[in-house]
Amino acid sequence: MGGPGSSSPCASCKLLRRRCAKDCIFAPYFPPDDPHKFAIVHKVFGASNVSKMLQELPVHQRADAVNSLVFEANARVRDPVYGCVGAISYLQNQVSQLQMQLAVAQAEILCIQMQHEQPLQSHHQVLELDQDEKALLLNNNSINNCNNDNNNLGYAMSSGQFNSNFASPSSIMQMQMQMQDPLKQESLWT
Amino acid sequence: MNPKRCAACKYLRRRCPKDCIFSPYFPPSDPDKFACIHRIYGAGNVSKMLQQLPVQTRAEAVESLSFEAKCRVDDPVYGCVGIISLLQTQIQNTQALLAKTQAEIAVAQNKQNQ
Repeated sequence: MGGPGSSSPCASCKLLRRRCAKDCIFAPYFPPDDPHKFAIVHKVFGASNVSKMLQELPVHQRADAVNSLVFEANARVRDPVYGCVGAISYLQNQVSQLQMQLAVAQAEILCIQMQHEQPLQSHHQVLELDQDEKALLLNNNSINNCNNDNNNLGYAMSSGQFNSNFASPSSIMQMQMQMQDPLKQESLWT
Repeated sequence: MNPKRCAACKYLRRRCPKDCIFSPYFPPSDPDKFACIHRIYGAGNVSKMLQQLPVQTRAEAVESLSFEAKCRVDDPVYGCVGIISLLQTQIQNTQALLAKTQAEIAVAQNKQNQ
């Protein structure tokens, strides 16, 4: 494994029982003190596939790529049927619910503003929303939001490409292009 | 060669047995689906994963693997984790906007009551 003074093999080479070369592509990302990290990536993707993927990337992007692969592998081991897609589905539902709540709140503030601008007069009808009217307004707002958001999540949710409730990759990729530095959020990796 | 080979066996250039584990999920009409999954996971890994699952869940598993593989091909650095990150950001932004709007409602209602 190496002469005197050489560092111990990386977690990958330990698991694969091979000599850890100086230019080992795995060594910077799979330190020997965390064998589980490589084990799980190897289980889901396979060492040769991971090596190929890393070789196709510029060096400065490899750490992020490894982290995302580890995340996906962990998700797949926890949920062998849906993997990360289960999380995506859950988050999409959360977004949908929040957007509906926002639509209701925005409709409410609009009503209040209209009431301020048009003071009550005997021959005018005051616009006060009861629960049924709020629900009706909510449905209209939800449909409008979905129709207007063709290039983002709303369209993705209604496209229904899969049997389960996950969106088509191409429409979601359009959203992704608008994002910058998605891995700055530390919570994703803890 | 059997002309009715599934997409996986066609891609792997092998005979497609009657009990091929891939054939229910990789019809020959969609060769890209298996090609993409094979590129990211490898046929051996996919076969192992499917064998470990009950039959009734395998179709969903293949669809989710296909989705993740496509995401990884489209975005080799972040894959579908980029989508998760984007959704989390969207949730945070919507929550903030909702909180702001609810605060505005509270202020407006307060004014009304005065």
